[in-house]
Amino acid sequence: MLLRGRATLALGLPGAAAHAACPPGADDGAVISKDGLVLAYRPLAIAGEDKNAGRIPMAKHFVLELQLCDTSGVSAARLVKADATMPEHRHGMNYRPQIKPLGGGRFRVDGMMFHMAGHWELAFEVQAGKEVTRFTHDLRID
Amino acid sequence: MTCGSIDRLLYRLAFAAAFAAAWLALTAAVCAADEARDFSAAELARIAAHGPWPLASAPDPGNRVSGNAAAIRLGHDLFFDPRLSADRRVACASCHDPVQGFQDGRATARGLLTGTRNTPGLLDVRHRRWFGWDGGHDSLWSASLRPILDPREMGGNAARVARTLRGKAGLDCHYRQAFGKPPHANDPDLLVNVAKALAAWQETLVSPPTPFDRFRDALQRGEAQGVAAYPTAAVRGLRLFLGRGQCATCHAGPLFSNGEFGDIGVPFFIRPSGVDPGRQGGIKRLLASPWNLLGSYNDDATRDNATQTRFLRTEHRNFGEFKVPTLRNLKLTGPYMHNGSVATLREVVRHYSELDEDRLHTDGERILRPLRLTDAESADLVTFLESLSPASPLPPPAVPSVVAACRAP
Ligand code: HEC
Ligand code: HEC
Repeated sequence: MLLRGRATLALGLPGAAAHAACPPGADDGAVISKDGLVLAYRPLAIAGEDKNAGRIPMAKHFVLELQLCDTSGVSAARLVKADATMPEHRHGMNYRPQIKPLGGGRFRVDGMMFHMAGHWELAFEVQAGKEVTRFTHDLRID
Repeated sequence: MTCGSIDRLLYRLAFAAAFAAAWLALTAAVCAADEARDFSAAELARIAAHGPWPLASAPDPGNRVSGNAAAIRLGHDLFFDPRLSADRRVACASCHDPVQGFQDGRATARGLLTGTRNTPGLLDVRHRRWFGWDGGHDSLWSASLRPILDPREMGGNAARVARTLRGKAGLDCHYRQAFGKPPHANDPDLLVNVAKALAAWQETLVSPPTPFDRFRDALQRGEAQGVAAYPTAAVRGLRLFLGRGQCATCHAGPLFSNGEFGDIGVPFFIRPSGVDPGRQGGIKRLLASPWNLLGSYNDDATRDNATQTRFLRTEHRNFGEFKVPTLRNLKLTGPYMHNGSVATLREVVRHYSELDEDRLHTDGERILRPLRLTDAESADLVTFLESLSPASPLPPPAVPSVVAACRAP
């Protein structure tokens, strides 16, 4: 998985990776579908930090990697927003994440941190043309 | 036989009423003690999350002399040197007293002038993400530079620092060993270098394992004796802390702090007039500082150590938020809160028990509720908090050795 992501970057051949990337596989993490779009995301292991890749650490920065697909394969849509809130606490994150397109429908989100244990709602906004699709996903952090 | 099955057996034997009553009393006492330590898998995981202790640590990539022996010795000597201050009377150690967990026991700090904030202890300080009650600094070294220059604390400057270093052969030599050049007042790196040496020494200040740590480890390893050694009142307090009190929501992990900021309704008015804006002011100071991790004094060329500063977001609620303090070493570090307004742990617990909800942000966190604890529950919570401090007083920290190149011939 990680290797494939790296190859995409190094070779700059999004088309080549695109084929393998969609539909998302088990390695791509959680999969959410809406309006013909499929979004898969997973936290990346941070060097020297939490070794449990696939698990979001509490009160530590983490990086998400996302894959966008649609019925035809890799989606041309763009991830335009990634954020998270704790609905019961009525607050969000103390950090504003940044999105970096990696090509091949793949995106990297830096600067996320869930600073408290409990229920978090992840929210992603994906734009295709003028259409914005909002994905949400509930998580429990402990 | 489990406590439950003894109960059932006794129930069946109820016809022998007098006999059973005597047994019941006896087993109830034994079982109460045992059941207090009977934790669900979820509880075990939550307790485990507050360890292990001490934490692993790596050199600070933003400080090239982190772990450097000459810098550690230099930092130590400067920490205790009052000549850095304008009146040659205030040293770091005047406020951060080693025998009091590296704080001063006063409500608010007193240097050249009296300040408005409580002096935090410095044990385990290397593990903070943000420094100062408002998180106005993002590195240990920049937090160590502030007091030298602050006119209320030490009122120093580069010329005075250079003079101090040159005035003592040992300081001068360790500076040269650590930084490869002599101390010069007009070297723009001088103050930052001194701050990095101070940081290198403070990184060595680590608090020892506590009764709670021993209990937590024994529980992990299934060592009944170690588990039993932890007082029952502390176990009850721990349950309140993790459960109804929701304390661990903010006071999380091995440091008992999530490293972020909150508003628990401690008044932030400053006499005679004014307010302490807390985190809001801290973010402003941080972003305006030439010494933040986004600036050129960060020794980590990748800037990977600047994540928290790069992605920082400001919110209205930051006004009046203060850093969630660690709960380790509390026995050494009273009085409490950013302004030292709460004298004892009993009063801290009363604060949470009788919380004035009108004082909390209306648009803010919905975590805190007045707990309305009984006297017994309050005492249990205090016993638990005390178990997060070393059981016996700490010896003064060892003086780091002089590096070979600086030994007198
Ligand atoms: C006049 C008393 C005083 C003196 C002298 C002083 N400090 Fe402090 N120190 C404080 C106070 C008060 C704070 C909290 C400041 C804030 O919230 O902005 C603090 C905060 C700190 C912090 C951040 C700790 C944390 O957990 O956030 C560090 C590190 C520190 N001081 C190191 C030093 C060093 C090194 C020196 C000497 C160069 C020094 N201090 C001199 C009172 C003092
Ligand atoms: C919403 C987050 C939050 C929760 C929940 C919380 N605290 Fe705190 N705690 C803080 C903050 C923030 C401060 C510092 C406030 C200030 O200085 O204005 C603090 C301060 C303290 C202090 C003083 C420490 C010191 O060094 O000054 C103690 C002790 C403490 N809390 C214990 C508890 C206990 C016990 C509970 C549960 C009943 C609890 N906290 C729940 C955020 C929280």
